[in-house]
Amino acid sequence: MLEYVLRRLLYMLITIFAVASILFVIFRLLPGEATLQVISPAMDEAVQERMKAAFGLDKPLLQQYFIYLKNLVSLEWGRSFVSARRVIDILEYRFWNTVLLMAAGMCMTLMLGVGIGMVMAWKRNGPIDIIGTVTGLIFQAAPPFVTGLLLLMVLSYRLGLFPTGGMYPPGQRPDGVLELLFMPEFWHRIVLPTITVGLYYITTPMLIMRDSMLEVLGSDFIELAKAKGLKPRVVMIKHAARNALLAVVTLASIMVGFAIGGQVVVEALFSWPGMGQLMVESAASHDYPVAQGTFLMLAILVISLNFLTDVWYCYLDPRIKISASGLN
Amino acid sequence: MTDTNLLSVANLSVGYSTSQGVVNAVSDVSFDVRRNEVFGIAGESGCGKSTLIRALLRLLSNNGVSTATSITYEGEDVNSFSDDKFRDAILWKRISLVPQSAMNSLNPVYRVGDQVIEAIRAHRSVSRSEARERVEFLFDVVGLQPELMRSYPHEFSGGMRQRAMIAMSLALDPGLIIMDEPTTGLDVLVQEQILRRVREIRAEVSSSIILITHDIAVIAEMSDRISIMYGGKIVESATAIDLFESPFHPYTLGLKNAFPSISVMDNELISIPGTPPALIGEESGCLFEPRCPFSDATCAQILPQSHSVGEMHQVSCHRHTDVTELREKASKKSTWHC
Repeated sequence: MLEYVLRRLLYMLITIFAVASILFVIFRLLPGEATLQVISPAMDEAVQERMKAAFGLDKPLLQQYFIYLKNLVSLEWGRSFVSARRVIDILEYRFWNTVLLMAAGMCMTLMLGVGIGMVMAWKRNGPIDIIGTVTGLIFQAAPPFVTGLLLLMVLSYRLGLFPTGGMYPPGQRPDGVLELLFMPEFWHRIVLPTITVGLYYITTPMLIMRDSMLEVLGSDFIELAKAKGLKPRVVMIKHAARNALLAVVTLASIMVGFAIGGQVVVEALFSWPGMGQLMVESAASHDYPVAQGTFLMLAILVISLNFLTDVWYCYLDPRIKISASGLN
Repeated sequence: MTDTNLLSVANLSVGYSTSQGVVNAVSDVSFDVRRNEVFGIAGESGCGKSTLIRALLRLLSNNGVSTATSITYEGEDVNSFSDDKFRDAILWKRISLVPQSAMNSLNPVYRVGDQVIEAIRAHRSVSRSEARERVEFLFDVVGLQPELMRSYPHEFSGGMRQRAMIAMSLALDPGLIIMDEPTTGLDVLVQEQILRRVREIRAEVSSSIILITHDIAVIAEMSDRISIMYGGKIVESATAIDLFESPFHPYTLGLKNAFPSISVMDNELISIPGTPPALIGEESGCLFEPRCPFSDATCAQILPQSHSVGEMHQVSCHRHTDVTELREKASKKSTWHC
């Protein structure tokens, strides 16, 4: 188990390194000088040169790359072209906002999806199965900005049940994540974006769970569990769902990556001050250091979540350990 | 209890509804299992052996429907039990199962020992450690080291899983253990070890066993009484000795021909030509008639009734009175393949 985790950890670090390198190349391949925002071509040649030197842009590319890597590790991610604040400070605040919303959305997606999918398979062709399949497909077909807008229109504007956006009431910016978590207003405001993300992503885990569950229900060990005289609920949850879950966990690690895409839309829609919104803002204002930092941070987030699902998978399926040591 | 029958099944039928119509996988099967005996059910694949067991344990899939005039177990009419009552009062506690594919019958994500403990604790209110002691004892009985309790099924060989399954079936001292093809898929040496172990256990516990197999050699070796199934019906029942020394039914005669004998060298194996019936829709006449070299006009039209031809020996064949002629002809290859 420990060996497997360490190996995964190593893979994770290598992947992050690769992503950082690719980002370095991409941001230097972008059309137009990335520095155009700060170093105006209207300025004096000598001033331009001096500013480039200040940014370290006069050095050879390879040297720049090593400085870049060193700075990444020491968390010197540069300053925003727009606000001149340190990128890492901007990200720190945004990061937790995104993580909170994503965690809420993913929890809803996975818990509900797995639960409903399990019951759908257990009562195959029953009303839950049929309604679940149809509504699931409808939600998957509806893009998050449509469901989000509908939710806003009905629940916020018409019924006034929820605020229309933001993470906290204007002017009450909390001091840190902990304070945020204790604000009732925060929980009130996270509901709609969570439902929007949740509904959009729920279909895949739900149908995968249903399928995987149907396959498991045909196994010999399920028949034996029934023959053992176990209660149907025990057979369904402890024996069938536990095995069917493996397919969903595999899926979850892939889904997390996709979820980032939906995250950008939902954050923009609900004015959620997360990294998705930051990505849109920084790209629009050509704030390259912030954009680069956001991309990297999102990549690290996805890769870390993949790592966590891998470890979880290993815990769920004891057979994994064998294949891990088999690699030696 | 004076009743010698542990289990009595009367007129059990199972139909599966399929897109091609209802498949009568088991029709009108009646049998008794006595206390402390091994009752063998033999027949080729698809003859309804496993369906019979599933129906008995109420494990049929949703499209299967079973009916029976009566099923009595230890004097209780279990046929009238609700599913919940049957599950709590009968399953595993009083009738346990060694399933057809022990290889895949253990849940891959739980430790083997825990799965046996689960069976115990589902029916008895004992502590985990008491249950564990019981499992250690059971593992010892079937010849597995108690440390193996902590292993996962994928760490076991086929023979070890089969032993674990047998240990599990013994967990609650059930009156009846149903073994569905317990040695299929194991190599001959492991088969022999398992069968020897089953025989040793038989000497110690008083459980009856229903042994289901297509392997005539295994069934002849293990059983006290045997029923031969063909096309979802029992065609002949007798004690093991009677069945092999004086068979009546042409199908039994054919089966005997098709198995090699170690004592008689060079005896040619004779197969039964044709294929088993599809069992869809209503059939009139004897189901074996299309493959039977001795059939006549009656056989094609009238379903043979069960005739008693000896002590504890029943056969469903119109020509049971001509048995001497049948036996003589059946041993010749030309009778079956012309």
